[in-house]
Amino acid sequence: MESNRENRQSHLTHLTDAQFGDLLLGTASAAAKAHLEACAQCSEEADRVSGAIGSFEQQSLLWAERRAASRPLLAPHRQPVLSWLHIPANPQAWTAAVLAIALAAGIGVAVRNDISARKDHLQAMQPQLAEVQPAPSVSPSTLKADNELLSAIDGELRADTSTPVAMYGLTATSRSARARAPKRIAN
Amino acid sequence: MASTFRMQLVLDPDMICCVTGEPSLTELDDIEALDRVYRARLLRFVAYSTGDQDLAETIVQDCLLKAYNARDSFRGDCAVYTWLAHIATNLVRDRQRTRKFQFWRRIQRTAPDLSELSSLLPSGESSPESQILARERAQQVSAALEALSSNQRTIFLMRFIEEMELQEICQATGMQISTVKTHLHRAVKAVRLKLGGKI
Repeated sequence: MESNRENRQSHLTHLTDAQFGDLLLGTASAAAKAHLEACAQCSEEADRVSGAIGSFEQQSLLWAERRAASRPLLAPHRQPVLSWLHIPANPQAWTAAVLAIALAAGIGVAVRNDISARKDHLQAMQPQLAEVQPAPSVSPSTLKADNELLSAIDGELRADTSTPVAMYGLTATSRSARARAPKRIAN
Repeated sequence: MASTFRMQLVLDPDMICCVTGEPSLTELDDIEALDRVYRARLLRFVAYSTGDQDLAETIVQDCLLKAYNARDSFRGDCAVYTWLAHIATNLVRDRQRTRKFQFWRRIQRTAPDLSELSSLLPSGESSPESQILARERAQQVSAALEALSSNQRTIFLMRFIEEMELQEICQATGMQISTVKTHLHRAVKAVRLKLGGKI
């Protein structure tokens, strides 16, 4: 049986790349399948390659599952980039939004009317403001008296040369003066 | 237990939608469900497409939010995952076109590291030796994917890892079926070579 198989192998060429690829894809021709049954070498190689791919499939899936499990699940809803533009779904929210817009528009109109009324009032007041004279300045006689008083104060401050040493009746002497003074001889 | 589970599948309206191919509106309306069901698969697809797991996190986040915001435009012509993969593919292309992406790709990449999973190997492998062998082979596939072109890698991942049909890949990538097949054959050849195949 075994020798018979080897004899048949010797008459056959091995599977080509294309046949081998078709074999893995499951689209092998009848001739390729027949050769695979007869050829132990091609059969072993097909088993080895498909087994390696199967091992890779299993191990890579284990890796991916472990990696995916270590990450948190996606949030149910992604926060939109312009979240303030988020359109409300319920009618109450719409009503509230419309009221808020109306209120904001009303406040805006009121403020605008108030500003324009103030502008009108200022424009009406403008001629009267133009007629207002500045307050009268200080009279020359008062100014002269004030200057004299300030000069007197300044003169007194300048004349006062009293020092803390003079206040207590002390005399300041330098080291050289002490050196020149005659030495007191003790009896 | 199995019969109970089957009964639940039949009675669950979401599952009926999936089975009949109709869009699962509940699934699309609930962003948390969308996240829970598809995030891991999308993350794997995008991470291996870009080769950068941090970038993949961002793209998957954007993809899920885009899908949720545009859920009204989903007509149900394809599976939800195909639609998500289409969005993710476009996002990946947009990122890959930018010069900033190309610059940072050269400087620093945080490619997914399968060696982190030494303690989480699938239980299908019986012995420790088989587990080590399986991990080595998976890393060889991962290395082979890095050497592929962007289109080849994306299509290979869609077909063999995400198990999408050729027609779904055409929908997700906007390519002709002949183009998809060409990319697939080249990718398979590269992976086969990496795994020590005889060409």
